[in-house]
Amino acid sequence: MNLTKRYGHHFAVNDLNFSISAGEIVGFLGPNGAGKTTTMNIMTGFIAATKGDVIINGLDIVAEPEKAKAQIGYLPDTPPVYGDMRVDEYLSFAADIKGVKRAGRKEHLNHIKNQVHINDVSRRLIKNLSRGYRQRVGLAQAMVGNPRVIIMDEPTIGLDPKQIIEMRDVVKNLGKKHTVILSSHIMQEVSAVCDRVMIINKGRIVAQGTPEHLSSNLSKSGGKIQVRVKADPTQIREALKEYTVIRHINVLDGREPGTTDLELAGDDGADIREAVFRCMAKHNLPLLLMKSMDLSLEEVFLRLTGDIRGEAAGYELPEEETAKGGDPA
Amino acid sequence: MIPIYKKEIRAYFTQMVGYAFLAFMLFLVGMMFTFNNIFPQSGRFGDTLMASSTSFMFFILVPILTMRLFSEETKHKTDQLLFTSPLSVAQIVLGKYLAAFSLFMVGVGLTVLFPLSMVRHAVEGLPASQIMGSYAGFILIGACCIAVGMFVSVLTDNQIIAAVATFAVIWVMFVMDALAMTMPVSAGASLFFVALVVLAVAGTWYYSTRHWLSSGILAVIGVAAAIGLYIYNNLIYDAIIVRVLLWFSLYTRFGVMSLGILNLSDIVYYVSFTALFTYLTMNVIEKRRWR
Repeated sequence: MNLTKRYGHHFAVNDLNFSISAGEIVGFLGPNGAGKTTTMNIMTGFIAATKGDVIINGLDIVAEPEKAKAQIGYLPDTPPVYGDMRVDEYLSFAADIKGVKRAGRKEHLNHIKNQVHINDVSRRLIKNLSRGYRQRVGLAQAMVGNPRVIIMDEPTIGLDPKQIIEMRDVVKNLGKKHTVILSSHIMQEVSAVCDRVMIINKGRIVAQGTPEHLSSNLSKSGGKIQVRVKADPTQIREALKEYTVIRHINVLDGREPGTTDLELAGDDGADIREAVFRCMAKHNLPLLLMKSMDLSLEEVFLRLTGDIRGEAAGYELPEEETAKGGDPA
Repeated sequence: MIPIYKKEIRAYFTQMVGYAFLAFMLFLVGMMFTFNNIFPQSGRFGDTLMASSTSFMFFILVPILTMRLFSEETKHKTDQLLFTSPLSVAQIVLGKYLAAFSLFMVGVGLTVLFPLSMVRHAVEGLPASQIMGSYAGFILIGACCIAVGMFVSVLTDNQIIAAVATFAVIWVMFVMDALAMTMPVSAGASLFFVALVVLAVAGTWYYSTRHWLSSGILAVIGVAAAIGLYIYNNLIYDAIIVRVLLWFSLYTRFGVMSLGILNLSDIVYYVSFTALFTYLTMNVIEKRRWR
């Protein structure tokens, strides 16, 4: 594809190249202004690329726009809803413009309304609905006509936590029948629902892969684990001596009084968790915490897109920071 | 095209714009009817249409009709729905145009009641051909103005700006006659005018293609041809500004039609004027995608 979109001298999207296979849920992750929306607008044929082409299911979006667009349902960042229409009117208008056949249309629309839970607002004017409901009506619109590909730009922006969880379920369900592409600048979001993540920054893909793959690969921690033991460092060093698989021992700043935090690693990323457990058990040292030091997707994201830290993928965060921050994933 | 058409018609009547348009149109034509037909006891309904068209009808009412067509979609980002749907740009533009034109025609249809109400009272009968000619002119001008209004609406996402700009453009087209009479007629001034037009065309060409060489060649050849023609036979340049402006005037042709004379050239003028602005509207949308 090699998509490029240039505004004057500013490259909004620069040589983006990817393909997505049927049935995948793919997430675009990137900070604001990374080019996610531009990429989506190009994919849906709303704007044209300066260079490169988009092929949807074998159809070129520029050469055969009508056919290609029929394969796509699009939920832009602002739901494209008409305030003075009722939800039902709006959905049947969407069905009209997408050429959905009259026969069976009602069942189709009812099915969609059930999926996104907007049955109870069917008769209400869209302008009187809350942001969350509008977002769902917008999503329902994207699902009309059973397009093969559903593209969503920031589907959970402006939703409350409960609605976000509901939206995630809807997206997961969609992924069973459709190819779903969504964008977000929120990491948990993407890691929760996507099979594959593309991290985009300044119009380029800086990394891609499954959420797990990304976080383990990029952190390059090679099976490093962090442990917290209720003992002092010398005791622990003594205990660990007889376990040769554990090569690297690094004492970190303790966070609980009377305990010691350590960073341990084996050779070439060998799994040392069991060895650590046996060692501590043998010497009767209470093991309070053991966690893998893979970076969370959030940290990967910051590392890849951060301006201060530089864009080098191999850069490692200072140990201290890794130990202190981060969730027990 | 039909879904868009249906949606627009429905929007006219849910947003009150449609009712307001029809009410003001009937009020305006009714008022002109009172002044031109009832007070002077005249059966010439063509005068009423003429008077309506030169007063608020096309400057104010048509902008109200057209200002929302695209501005509103852009503002509320619903254009993303339309332009990513399987509909072509032409279907969307034509659907919107026809919706506005249909509403206008509903108003025109209602005004037919005025001349019909005179039939029983007219001792010598009504000047039927003149009335029909006036109606033809009225409808054709309406078609042109709606196309201009739609074109302006696609250029901005602000409805008020769209309405004011449409007002200005249509108003200038109506005063073209008066404007034309103030223009110089000398051959030198005409040459200058033609050269300006050629440069404007070359400029437009550059704007849409971004190709320096071809637009430069166009400008040079055009200006050279204009000067060559001036040296060869400068009679062609006699009062060319006035002639061109009058040719563009919407109103001059209406005058001819109101006499009951239908010229094919006049009809072609109005139809192609409408087609040009409809085409330009589609073009702006397409161009915006490639910007």
